[in-house]
Amino acid sequence: MSRGAWTPRAIVERSLGLAALVIALLGPAIFSSYFTTTILTSTFIFGIAAASLIFLSAYGGMISLSQTALMGIAGYVVGNLVTKGGAGGETKGLILGWDPTLALVFAIVITTAIGLILGLVASRSFGIYFLMLTLTFGVIANYFFGQVTKLGGFSPIASINLYMPGWIGDIVGHPDKLYYIALGVSLFVYVLIRYLVRTPFGISLQGQRDEPVRLASLGYTVPLHRALAFGFGAFVASLAGVLFVWWEGQISPQNLGLGATIDLLIIAVIGGLGRIEGAWLGAFAFIVINNYVRDIQFPFASEKGVLPWIGGSFNTVIGVVFLLIVLLSPGGLVGIWDRVWDAARRRGGPPHAQSEGAEPAAVASS
Amino acid sequence: MKVGRWKLLLPLALLTVGATVTASGALATPAQSGAVRVAIMTDCKGGFGFAYELDIGGAQAAFAQYAGGKVKNKNKPSAGMTGISAGGADVNIVGYGCGDDTAATAVKETRRLMEQLKADVMVGPLSGDEAVAVANYAKAHTKQTFIIGTAGSQDPTMQIAPKNMFRYHGDGAQWNAGIGEIAYKKLGWRNAAIIMDDYSFGWTSAAGMIADFCAVGGKITKRVFPPLNNADYASFVRQLPAPDKVDGYFWAIGGNTPGSLTAFEQAYGKADPKQFIGNLFFAFLGNDKVVAPKFVGAYLGGFGTGPGLKTKQAKRYEAALLSHYPKLPTADGFVYNYYNAAWALVQGLEKSGGAVGAALQKAMPRTLASGYEVSDDGKVKLDSRRQAIQDQYQLQLVKNKDGSVGPVVIAYVPNVDQSFGGLFKPSSPPPGRSQPACKKQKTPWQGKLKAVKNGVITKTTIK
Repeated sequence: MSRGAWTPRAIVERSLGLAALVIALLGPAIFSSYFTTTILTSTFIFGIAAASLIFLSAYGGMISLSQTALMGIAGYVVGNLVTKGGAGGETKGLILGWDPTLALVFAIVITTAIGLILGLVASRSFGIYFLMLTLTFGVIANYFFGQVTKLGGFSPIASINLYMPGWIGDIVGHPDKLYYIALGVSLFVYVLIRYLVRTPFGISLQGQRDEPVRLASLGYTVPLHRALAFGFGAFVASLAGVLFVWWEGQISPQNLGLGATIDLLIIAVIGGLGRIEGAWLGAFAFIVINNYVRDIQFPFASEKGVLPWIGGSFNTVIGVVFLLIVLLSPGGLVGIWDRVWDAARRRGGPPHAQSEGAEPAAVASS
Repeated sequence: MKVGRWKLLLPLALLTVGATVTASGALATPAQSGAVRVAIMTDCKGGFGFAYELDIGGAQAAFAQYAGGKVKNKNKPSAGMTGISAGGADVNIVGYGCGDDTAATAVKETRRLMEQLKADVMVGPLSGDEAVAVANYAKAHTKQTFIIGTAGSQDPTMQIAPKNMFRYHGDGAQWNAGIGEIAYKKLGWRNAAIIMDDYSFGWTSAAGMIADFCAVGGKITKRVFPPLNNADYASFVRQLPAPDKVDGYFWAIGGNTPGSLTAFEQAYGKADPKQFIGNLFFAFLGNDKVVAPKFVGAYLGGFGTGPGLKTKQAKRYEAALLSHYPKLPTADGFVYNYYNAAWALVQGLEKSGGAVGAALQKAMPRTLASGYEVSDDGKVKLDSRRQAIQDQYQLQLVKNKDGSVGPVVIAYVPNVDQSFGGLFKPSSPPPGRSQPACKKQKTPWQGKLKAVKNGVITKTTIK
């Protein structure tokens, strides 16, 4: 089946995607202000960050735990460069008062450069060693910004979203602007990744994912491929980082701590480590559960219930969802869709029909 | 078989998500009107998660006392409250915030309370960095009103100071006013080292100790700053001078006070209480049972409260609080400060006729007859940045008749303002690792600390 063909599955998936896009474009008119400016905007932002992780996992065979740190580095660069001191100004960080557009470019360039350097360091590691190495990067970044008080320290650099590029304008008073920017960047990232994986670089990246030795024997420089892919992942993470500080208004070491790192991994796993679409699906599921489950009382877990020690908390529910996903559908929510589609085809068509339309990526074995 | 499993799971998952989203008001709805919507922001996780029920209990006791609130469960404040009304308007508590003493979670929870649950007023937060984050949030959300619960960082009402934010208690530095003079005069310290949590409250609390001690001529020889909620303090206590090289230690560690002191004893042997002055965390948040027994006789900075103070106003407050929640500790600032914040809100609503927004902010009281206040007819005053000028009480750990150890008031410092007599200014950097510098100066209360004996403020000056 050729890529991009209008198979029944492709038609259904593209129709669903188009419907989701139309709903997203009409979001501020349909949904409550909180739902658009908090739930959906953060879904787009964390979806972008998760997309960087899923890209590396699905197409490079690298599960990176550095993406949250890279996102945070971009946020810290923006925070340090744009905020201003003096009476009524900010008090944490370098407070350089740079032009926000310049700071935006700097944040992306610096984060991508750091990503490339980290990628070069980690490029010869595989599997659990790569995972641990990237986790180490994340922990170092967390402690670095916590301990180097000139760049922020434990307390947050705040009010970053009051210093916006002139061509964007006020997003605090007009949060729908940020909603559409985050939506636009999400689309850009999605299209960019879809394009990249079809280029010769993307194909050879998938080649090294499956057979690194064979690819090396064909003359490809596998570590360089992996480092470049990591740099690209850092670029995507930097976009999420900039959007994050515009949305959150502040950045603190907790935003790139172990908890935040695990949250992003959970988003990617819930969404599905095999396909890019899973990034936004996982982010939406995670954020909806995080925001709305808190106020639901579970009869079995209430004070007078059968299992009072479980509690009705977000952590319990997200933990159960995570367990179910890992046990029943390692491909995440997208994996469920794939399985349902295949099952439906098996019932209606030949039992060994190839699952067409799905991305060539597989869930990374590492 | 597999097909059957997915046939069951998928619809269930979709149904759950759909029901949750719809039921939670995802769709645009007209703005609600009528009742005043109040959120109580506190911590239920992290180093101060212990204070969850204390904070909620303190706030709700004031609603019960002054606004007709009906307590649902006297032993569990978070069970809720009904029947609150003030200024002719019903007051609904729409939610309790669950922070973890970090700015990141504070913003997340504040968004949930103020945007998802649409609160008009927040009573809270609890902790220093949380208040910094909420103050910055408040700057951009001017129609909503924020009354700090018990957070003690300086920034929210000094450098940030949004006009819709109020604090009816002192900050961490104010709470320690007078403790440096006690170290200098009663303990004879001439130099000291200080260890502080590396975040805004730790810095502010330490700033009060440093400023007060240096003001009378003391010297700070070393400053050490471990991260908040650190687990292993070994490397940090080793940075402190040994006990025979320094007169004493100011201990401004709140996230893990017992762990930090244990590390000190492992490094240098048994600690001498006369060589230690703690901040409020030597005696509150459960440390009366863990830390205090080892430090009987040690002095500590206060919490703006007067444990055992025998004034009519204090007794009235304590009786009122206990009539609603009998198990709450009356002189614990986690209770007392939330109580006063909620009481101020009730007064504001009474004056605004139940209106919120700018009308409420204008109507918020500029004085409050808080339980432990003595000066100016027992009234806390707000300064121009809506920050309390408050009496402070310095404490000492003593053994009670029943064998327990707890704090008693030993000194009274009237009318402590946030500027510390002009040392701190909106244009100056907030307290930090190296702020303030150690310098001799005159504070308004220097040489005027009154001794307190058996809960009675005497005319004797501490010498």
